[in-house]
Parts: sequence; structure tokens; C-alpha cells
Amino acid sequence: MPSSSPRVAILGTAESSLSLSPLDRFGDLSELLAAPAYDVLLLDLPGPLAGQALRSLRLSESYRFSLIYCCRDQDAWCTALGDGTPPVDLGALTPLWRLWKERFALFNRGAAPERFETRVLAWLWLRSRGDIHALRDPQVPQHYRYPLLEALAIDESVNAFVWLQLMTQQGLLEEGELVDRLRLCIDCGSGRLNYVDVCAECHSLDIARQPSLHCFTCGHVAPQEHFLKDGLLLCPNCLSRLRHIGSDYDRPLENYRCRGCQAFFVDAAVEARCLDCGQVHEPEKLRVREVRHFRLAEAGRLRCRQGFVSETSHSEQFGRLNLLGARTFREMLGWQIQIVRRYREPAFSLLGLRFVNLASTLAKLGELSGHALVDSLVERLQEAVRETDRFTRSSEEHLWLLLPNTGAEGLASLRQRLARVAELLKTSEARDIELRMVGFSAPQDLLEQEDGELLLARLAGELA
Amino acid sequence: MIGFFEQAQALLVDLSGPDGLSQLFMSLFPFFLLFELPLNVLVLLGVLRWFARRHSRTPQHSLYQPRVSCIITCYSEGLDVQKTLLSLCEQTYPGHIEMIPVVDGATANQTTLRAVRDFRLNTDLYPRRQLRPIAKWQRGGRVSSLNAGLAHATGEIVMALDGDTSFDNNMVSAMVRHFADPEVPAVAGSLRVRNAWASLSTAVQALEYLLSIHMSKIGLGEWNLVNNVSGAFGAFRRSFLERIGGWDTHTAEDLDLTLRIKSYFGRRPLRIPFEPEAIGHTDAPATLRQFLLQRLRWDGDLFFLYIRKHSHSITPRLLGWPNFLMTLVSGFFFQLVLPFIILSYSLAALFLLPGSTLLLLFVLVYTLYLTITLLFYLAMLVMVSERPRQDLRLALLVPIFPLFMLMMRCWSAVAMLNEALRRGHEETSMAPWWVLKKATKF
Repeated sequence: MPSSSPRVAILGTAESSLSLSPLDRFGDLSELLAAPAYDVLLLDLPGPLAGQALRSLRLSESYRFSLIYCCRDQDAWCTALGDGTPPVDLGALTPLWRLWKERFALFNRGAAPERFETRVLAWLWLRSRGDIHALRDPQVPQHYRYPLLEALAIDESVNAFVWLQLMTQQGLLEEGELVDRLRLCIDCGSGRLNYVDVCAECHSLDIARQPSLHCFTCGHVAPQEHFLKDGLLLCPNCLSRLRHIGSDYDRPLENYRCRGCQAFFVDAAVEARCLDCGQVHEPEKLRVREVRHFRLAEAGRLRCRQGFVSETSHSEQFGRLNLLGARTFREMLGWQIQIVRRYREPAFSLLGLRFVNLASTLAKLGELSGHALVDSLVERLQEAVRETDRFTRSSEEHLWLLLPNTGAEGLASLRQRLARVAELLKTSEARDIELRMVGFSAPQDLLEQEDGELLLARLAGELA
Repeated sequence: MIGFFEQAQALLVDLSGPDGLSQLFMSLFPFFLLFELPLNVLVLLGVLRWFARRHSRTPQHSLYQPRVSCIITCYSEGLDVQKTLLSLCEQTYPGHIEMIPVVDGATANQTTLRAVRDFRLNTDLYPRRQLRPIAKWQRGGRVSSLNAGLAHATGEIVMALDGDTSFDNNMVSAMVRHFADPEVPAVAGSLRVRNAWASLSTAVQALEYLLSIHMSKIGLGEWNLVNNVSGAFGAFRRSFLERIGGWDTHTAEDLDLTLRIKSYFGRRPLRIPFEPEAIGHTDAPATLRQFLLQRLRWDGDLFFLYIRKHSHSITPRLLGWPNFLMTLVSGFFFQLVLPFIILSYSLAALFLLPGSTLLLLFVLVYTLYLTITLLFYLAMLVMVSERPRQDLRLALLVPIFPLFMLMMRCWSAVAMLNEALRRGHEETSMAPWWVLKKATKF
């Protein structure tokens, strides 16, 4: 492990108000890239320039995952690719960098991740509050882009939206703030659409609004020009003079007339014309896409913690615990409940474990020994359970076990075995961690109308 | 000589006899009526002339389409302002119309201000209409609103309109065509009562607007003798209006302005036509009390204007002989003197005469007035009314109309006394006290 404090460099030409004199300063990006890699970079550039520099830095191998802070104003690119503003006291950089260093060391025994998916997860996990930021860019046909994914894709061509959807389904990423809702062309996927009102019958563009009048005397309704005679309004049907709006006549509707086919209609049809491919679509048939920021989900964090060692990760179950995504677990639980409701067998059980104070203890122990603790916990759990059992973690502290074909007795014996895990906690340095358990056996404990989600919520309440 | 003396003695003997007093009243009865008849004849002849002229007129398309600015004085009308604005948008006039609603005391009259602000002008539907609202935060009175609007107006023709008055859609074209004649500085428009069937009081006023105002203005207008361009509805040539300095403070600014325009009649052959086809619909006071207070103001203002403010300008040199005589007869005699004669005559008759004579006298006077009313009503229905079906319903009120007129004459005397003795014009609600205090005293 190298020195205990990071090597910090500044990129920026002008003498700014920052008193960063003892640090290495580079005026030019190429100079910086030519020099041996630094651990932490500070960009002393105005927002747009900083954004550009960040883009180039994230593309270069040496600074792909590094902590890079922007000292001046931030534009959207800085938010998407940078680590925000540096701490006021530069000394505070050291612990941040140490955490980064510890986490980085976990991957493939210190080597940088190689696959796109793992690169993104690693980038997010290396910084405590990293997210995949959506950036509005009028140059792109879809209006939004994810600069981080573009930078980390390197040579692979990735459809960011599809990829993000996939990762969310796998439970590695979770949806963050909803930024926008787009409507895209179903042919070319472009968001550059022009909505035009057209004739409802012949779909011609050449339509005009035509005000109509309604004669109160005889009820006649016709376009305004039928009423106008020598500057007076005369009803063409009953020939009465229309003098005052509201008492003799009114304007009941504003209709359209098509100049092509002479059709007269109330509501014009609306078409979405794609400005990129020229196709015409009905607005309700357009593809609707929600643009969001994304962040690392619990499962993704866990996977990073394991350092992507078990690369059997194509399937949804990964890790030694057959850990499932929360949604998949809920669905599986729901299915079990449905089966039991219908056939009264086979019995199954659900066990909830809560490691109270786990997160704070891990933080106290530091990355390495913390992970050693988690690893030993997981090993004990693995010994205690069967291959057919399924796990999920709904939060850092909550672990759920689904035990198929297991009645109340089976559950009781499992609880006994797990109690020994709790004893392990008492002996080690993790005595702050308290293990709480709650059990559930179907069909006897099953409540009317309860589905998987409600059941988990009820049991989590008992663990609180 | 001796014969005359004997005759006089005989008359005195008659008068001192048992029926003497009755005879005196009977003999006095026709005298003041005789004054009224010629005026009515003059009006009816004018109406006839107008009717004949209108029917022989060849329809012509005028290319004279000046820009028209409508100053709409708003105070506490609320949402009614939107009705006014919409009716101006709806004008069939092909030229530009600039609508300038001036909200007086906008800080206090938030609902009216909001109504003006919320009014959305549909430029697709009304391409030649512009809305330029003015909010006068501090209340300054009607005159200040009108002058503020005039300062911002860009049209060649300026109309002074009330916020609670809406207009028929041919109003602007009907008014504007008179201004093609360069000798026309102003045109008077006609008002109808919008809420005619809200109460008995408004119904009678609806008939009064038609018979006493609409008809008489048509008649007088034919002879260029229009007495007043109504403040709720009048049109002016902006250059002329600016030349004479706009509206003057005090109450009854409309009559004041009319008199000041008329002061040029002696020098130039100017004309103030009345346009019966330009019709505005306004709300009349719905309760008797509101109505009487309004008339107390109107009739008191007549006295204030003719006697106090403009007595010096009523000379044939300024007004020209026809208008001078007309002002003398209709302004002074009918509106200032006759009410007192009628009031004192009625009171004297009431106290001095025996019941049977009083009844006979009453029936006679009533019959005479009813005849005149009926004649006017029929003439109005046949020759003038553009909404005969609607006006037919007002026939129900013809029998009580003479009584109403008698009441109004008596009330007019009260109003005059209120002005003469109490300077009632200083209590007007048309401007705040701090403005009235500074105005020149007359």
C-alpha cells in the first residue's frame, strides 16, 4: 500500500483565489496526462471548461475512477462526471481518498474492473454518494444522455436506456429522481417531434380556425361570414338582426375548416411528425420514456463489496447466499403464498434476520475488517441453511430467508442453529451488533388477503 | 276704460264667489302646458324628419375608418367590465379599436382590476382590437380617469364609455361615420336600460330612456340642438377634445363638456349629431331610493352648471341663436323653472281646492299627458325602435308614465333647492373629497 496521504494535482491556468500553492499545478490537460498519475485532482476551471476536462479525464485510463473535484462553478457535466466541490479543508481529502483506496483494493485484488457493467458499478461504489446523472442535451435526438455511461463504455456501444432498465430489473441499480418524461418516435427513437393539428378527415395540414355564430332567435349556427352583410350581422336563416352578444347571439364554438377538403370539424386531429425520420405517428402511440437519475441499489453495493469475484453473475442470483433482488424475492414469496392458499401444502417458512447496528459497526471497523466480518457472517449463515433456501436483503441490516417445504419445526431448528451465529457476534469485536429474528410459517400464520409485500412489511415491523 | 274696469270687477266677483278659486286654477291650467307643447311638436317633427331621411338614404360604403380609442371608466363594476370589453371586441367596425379600461382606485377595487386583467383578448378572433388597460391606484374620480385615458389614447376618435355599459355590435361604425364630416366634434349615443325588468323602478326608467331621452334627442339632434352628450356613452374627435383641454373637474363633466363644445357654435357651423342606431345598454338604479338619489344629483347638477358655472357662457354670441334660445327654453325654463311652477301649483291645488275639482283637474291633466305619452310611444314603436318586440312589453307602463313624470318634476324642484341651498354638487360620488376640495369654486 502506498503512502498514507494522496498525491493531489490542480488543473487550471489562472491564478485563482484558492491558496493551493504547495500542490502541483498544470495549465494544460495534455501536460497532466503526460505526468505520472495523481491520486486526486482538483479542477480550477470555470464550469464549461471543467466539464470538458472531466470528460477527457474520465476517458483516460489513469483517471477513470479517481476522485476529481471541481473548485469553481459546476455545470451539468461536472455534476455528472465529477465528485462535486472539494472539502474546504484540503486535509479532509485524505480520509475520503483512503475509503476510495480501500474499496478500490477490493476489486479483482486491486485491478480495475474490466467489464462495462462492473466498471459502472465500481465507479458508483467508489464514491459514497455516486449516481448516474441524466443530462439534458439538445444535440442528442433523445434529448437526454448519461455522460458517465458514455465515458465508461470506452469502445463498447451501449444503449444507455436499455442497459439501465436491465440493471434495474436485476436489482443492481435503483431508480433515483424522475427528471423528465419524453415521447419518442417509434421508428427512430428520436425525441425531436413536431406536433401539428391537421384535418380530421383528410389529414391535410392546411386548416384554419373559423369562428361560428349562433342566432338565439332561430337557433341557426353557421360560420361568421355567412352572417356578415354590409357590416351588420344578419342571421341567414331567419333574417333577424343580431345586435348584442349574449342577448341576440353568441359564439358557441370555434370550428376548423380544411382548405383542402372543405371538411368542418370541432377538434383537429393531432399528429406527431418526427423531424429526424419524417414518419408521422399518432401521439398516443409514441414511445413514452421516463428519464431518471440512477443510483446503486443494495444488491449492487453487495456485489461490489464482494469484488465481483464470483463471476457467475449472468443469472439474477449471485453471491454465495443465492441472494435475490427484492422484487424477485417478493414475487417468489407471493407465489408460495398462492400455492399454500390454494392447496394447503407444501408448508413453507419465512425467517427475518436483523443485524441491528451493522452499518455503524462496519463504519467503525473500517472497510477491510468490516468486510471480513460480513464474510464470516455469510459463511456461518451458509452453513446453517440449505441449498434450496433463498435470501434477500431489503436493507443493509435486514436479511430474509425463504424456506420452502419447511414447517414450524424446521423453522425452530433453523433458529437454534442461527442462534449460534449470534454467539459468534458476542465474542468478536462486533459486540454492538444485535441479532434479532422473526419467524413465519405458512399455512398456519397466514393472514387473509396478505400478499408477499404486506407480509414482509408486517414482519419488518416486528423486527423494529 | 270703464268697460275694462267693469270686466275686471266682474271677474273679481266671480272669483270671490263659491267656485272662484276653482275657476282660477282651471283658467291657469293650460298656460304652462302651452310651453311644453311646442317643444314636443319640435321633437316629433325632428323624429319624422329623421325617419324620412333614414328611409330615403342610399346605403354607402365609407372608406373613412379611423382608429377609435374607447376609454372605459371603471370603478366598482366588477365582472360587468368584461361584458363591456367583449361587446367592444364584437364590433363589426372594420377599423382598429383600442380599448382603454381605466380602473380608478385600483388598490381598493381589486375585483374590477382582476376582471380587467383576466380578460383575454383573442387576437385570432379579433385581429383589430387592442387592449391597453390603465390601473389608477389612487382614486381620482371620473374626470381624472377620462383625462388619463385621453393622454394614452392614440385613436383619431375617442369614446368615453362607462364600465357597466355594453354595446350593440354596430355601435362604433354608426358613431364613427358622422366624423367623416370635419365639422362634427362630437356624437352622442343612445342608452337603453339593460336591467329593465329588475324592478318597477327600472321598468319605468326603461320607458323614460326611450321616450324622454332617446326620442327627444333624435328630435333635437335633427335640429342640431342636442342638449347633452352622455358621460356614459359619447364620442369625440380627439384633436378637438385636446384643443379644449379635455374634461374639466367637478361633477356633470359630460354636460360641462357639451356646453364648452357648444360655445364654438357661434363661430363655426359645428354639429353635434345624435346617433340613434348606436345603442349602449346600461344598468339603471334598481331601487327607488338609488334612483331618487341619482336624479337628485343629475337635476342638481343642471342647476350648478347652468346657474353657477356656465351662466356667463350662455349668450347668443357663443352658442349661436338657435342653441341659445333652446338652452334658455329647455335648459332654464323647462328644467329649472317649470318644476317649481308645477310643484307649487300642485301643492296649492292639493290644499286649496275641494275634492271634486281636484279630481276633475287631475283627470284633465292626466288625460292630456297620457295622450302625449301614447303619441310618443307609438311614434317610438313605429319609427324609432330597433327592438319593437321587446319594447312592446313596455306598453304596460304607459298608463303610469304621466304620474311618474309628475313625480319627477316635483323631485326635480327638490334637487334644485338642494343644490341652490346646500351646494349639493359638492357631495358627488364621482370624485373623492380631496379632489373636489381643490376644484375651483363656483
